[in-house]
Amino acid sequence: MRLLIIITSAILAWGAAETIAPSLAVADAIPAQVGGNARVKPISTRTPHSDRVASSGTGMALLFWAFAAATVGGALFVITRRNLIAAVMGMVGSFLGIAAVYMMLYAHFLSVVQMLVYAGAIMVLFVFVVMILNRPEDEPVAPTGRAGQAIGAIAIVYLVGRLIMLLWKVQPPDPTKALAAPGLTPEGHEWGTVKAVGTDLFNGGLFPFEAISILLLVAVVGAIAIARPLHDDQDNEGNTPDGEGH
Amino acid sequence: MADLLFNVGYGHFLVLAAVLFLIGVGGVLIRRNALIILMSVELMLNAANMTLLTFSRMWGDLSGHTFALMVIAVAAAEASVGLAIVVAVFRGRKNVDVDRLTTLRH
Repeated sequence: MRLLIIITSAILAWGAAETIAPSLAVADAIPAQVGGNARVKPISTRTPHSDRVASSGTGMALLFWAFAAATVGGALFVITRRNLIAAVMGMVGSFLGIAAVYMMLYAHFLSVVQMLVYAGAIMVLFVFVVMILNRPEDEPVAPTGRAGQAIGAIAIVYLVGRLIMLLWKVQPPDPTKALAAPGLTPEGHEWGTVKAVGTDLFNGGLFPFEAISILLLVAVVGAIAIARPLHDDQDNEGNTPDGEGH
Repeated sequence: MADLLFNVGYGHFLVLAAVLFLIGVGGVLIRRNALIILMSVELMLNAANMTLLTFSRMWGDLSGHTFALMVIAVAAAEASVGLAIVVAVFRGRKNVDVDRLTTLRH
C-alpha cells in the first residue's frame, strides 16, 4: 500500500513535470527578454542567473526525482492516512525531502534550519499532541453535506485545472541554451551559507528579525495561556497549598 | 523528454512546490481532523518557501532566504498556537472534528 502510494506520487510528480516542466524555459528566457524586451520589467536591476541551478548532471537529476518523490509521497501520506502517527511520520519524510531539495537550491543554511525547526521541533510538538488526544479519527474524509462535498471537489478540480493551464502555456526549453549555461556562478560556493544569509539578514532584515522575536514571545505566552487548564479543572484536581489560581 | 528528465532546472522546483501546495490545499479541504488541517497548512507554507528559495536563486538575490527564514519562524508560532487551541478544544469537547465545532455558528 505504501509502495503504491509512493509510486503513484512519483508518477504524479513526473507527469506534472512532463507537462509543465518546460517552465524552466521561462527562467532561461528571462535574461534575453530583459535585454531587448521592455515588456518584462525585473524588480531587481540584477539579471537572473542562467545556469541550471545545482543539478547539471544525471546523478543530480536522479537525486532530485528521488527527493521529489519523497516529498510528494510524504505529503500524500499526510492527507490520506487515518492513523495520525502515520500522518506525522509522512510529514517528517516530506520535510526531509524538502530539506534535500533546499540543499539543491544552494540554500544550505535554510536546509539545516528546515530540519531543525520542522522535523526536529514542530513535528515533535505534533507527536506530543497526537499522544495527548489519542483518539482515532472516525472517518478521514469529510462526508457531511452534499453541498460541502461539492464545493470541495469543485475547488480542487479548479485549482488543479488552473495549475495545468498555467503549465501548459509554458514554452519548451531551448536545449542549446540549456547546454550552454554555466554550472556555477563565481559566488556560487558562498551562496546560501550562514555567513551570506546572516549578512543579508542583518543588513536589510534587521527590523523584521526583531519583530519575529517579539512574535515568537507572544506565541509562547499565547500558547501557554490557551492550552493551560481552566480554573474548574484546577479546582477538581485538588487544591494546592498556597491556593494558587483562586 | 530526456532533457526534461535529466536536466533539472528552476521549473522543476517550481512545479514541485506547486504540487506540494495543491496537496496542502486538498488536505485542508477534504480532511476533518484539526491536526491534519494544521499539517496541511504547514505543507503549504513549505511550498511557498520552496518557491521563494527558487526565485532567490534565480535572481541571485539573498532576500528570498531572509524571507523564508521569517516564514519558518511564523510557521513555528502558528503551529504552537494552533496546537494549543487544538488541545484546549479537545479538553472541552473530547474531539477535534472541525465539522462538529459549530458553537460560533449560532
